[in-house]
Amino acid sequence: MLDSIPSFTRLVTELTKFPGIGSKTATRLAFFLLRQTSAEAEALAGAILDLKRHTRFCSVCYHITESDPCQICTDSARDDRLLCVVETPQDLLAVERSHSFRGRYHVLHGALSPLDGIGPNDLKIPELLQRLQPGEIDEVLVATNFTVEGDATALYLARQIQQSGIRVTRLAYGIPMGSELEYVDEATVNRAIEGRRKID
Amino acid sequence: MKLNVSPAIVLHHTNYGEADRIVTLLTPDNGRIKGFARNARKSRKRFGAALETFAEVQLHWTQRPGSGLVTFQEAELVSLRAGLRTDLDTLALAGYGCELTGVLFDETVGAAETFSLLKAFLDHLDVNGASDEARLLLELRLLSLSGYVPHLQHCAACDADLPAGPVGFSAARNGSLCEACGGGRMTLQVDRMTLGTLGRILQTPLNHFEGFRLSPLTRREGLALMAETLRHHLPSPLKSQSFMTALDSADES
Repeated sequence: MLDSIPSFTRLVTELTKFPGIGSKTATRLAFFLLRQTSAEAEALAGAILDLKRHTRFCSVCYHITESDPCQICTDSARDDRLLCVVETPQDLLAVERSHSFRGRYHVLHGALSPLDGIGPNDLKIPELLQRLQPGEIDEVLVATNFTVEGDATALYLARQIQQSGIRVTRLAYGIPMGSELEYVDEATVNRAIEGRRKID
Repeated sequence: MKLNVSPAIVLHHTNYGEADRIVTLLTPDNGRIKGFARNARKSRKRFGAALETFAEVQLHWTQRPGSGLVTFQEAELVSLRAGLRTDLDTLALAGYGCELTGVLFDETVGAAETFSLLKAFLDHLDVNGASDEARLLLELRLLSLSGYVPHLQHCAACDADLPAGPVGFSAARNGSLCEACGGGRMTLQVDRMTLGTLGRILQTPLNHFEGFRLSPLTRREGLALMAETLRHHLPSPLKSQSFMTALDSADES
């Protein structure tokens, strides 16, 4: 029935391209937009266009930014000698939300995957190695995911970076804060037991 | 719908949509199965780390009649094989083993021996790390189980005994060739003793990986022979092999 309203079906088609949005949800969202004022719809359209026109990847750390270099790379209060390597911009935001890291970042835009044929040159790894000048960086914290791909990336980076005498560290494994042991999976409990620490 | 339960080894997974995964596993009785793990990335309670590549699990799944993809209901972790993830060469070789197994055994038929072989290979790497011997043993045994093992001890064309010293080998002609059949035009030459060693390896139990010490010549020639045979039989080069080559190049540079 909605086929007779081309502008509506066009919007639904575009919305279904979003991750996690099926045709039913897309239709609901389209009806919601239909009820909005023209100004509100234009604000949404403008925000999407602005995002595409003004954002790019920082030429230093490859995080998303509107100004190049990005705000994090130009922040003089940050520790230049500490670098955190993450897989995606979303991972960088997760580390930032913790307020526990005050160094610089490097976003790889993916992880090594032997079974998918994703090698070092498919990621921002050559750019990372180029950034690591001996004497300028003391430690690289590898904050890739705890998947086979994330571990492969961490091992590769450790092998490449340690040659230049820079300390390479990895995020610790463990039980999530606030969780109950009963509901944690076996592999995480196993790693947490292996990495147990003395209570001071 | 019937609930199936079986031991399984995770060969590969692909993220699907926001929170789901498509996972390929090898089982002893149902061969290679591919299925849908709903919310595998979102809910850590349902699958946890059980659907990570190389993991051995007790798998519960259902299948709609006529559907190619099964639906995974639950996976109890038996072994994550965390040792495979502590060394890059070991991780890469384990990935190669899983991909090669998945390519050579792509049917949903009984694969008890293949399952036993892959399990033993991964367990061996988990404890001992990567080695040319482990790779050679896996390749040779997988070729044998899939029916692609070349003629090693006799001429593939005339069945004559092979002379001592270098012998010609052609995967396209299904194995070693005597001087008369090969005509001296073989690109790959393998010592007769290497062929004998490979033949004796085929007589050993499939799940036996410990205690093999091969000479550098046997390792080099054996791996070259396997590479030539696999190149001939595989539909396309393996991604994990390209990955291992990229690692070697990075190490050299």
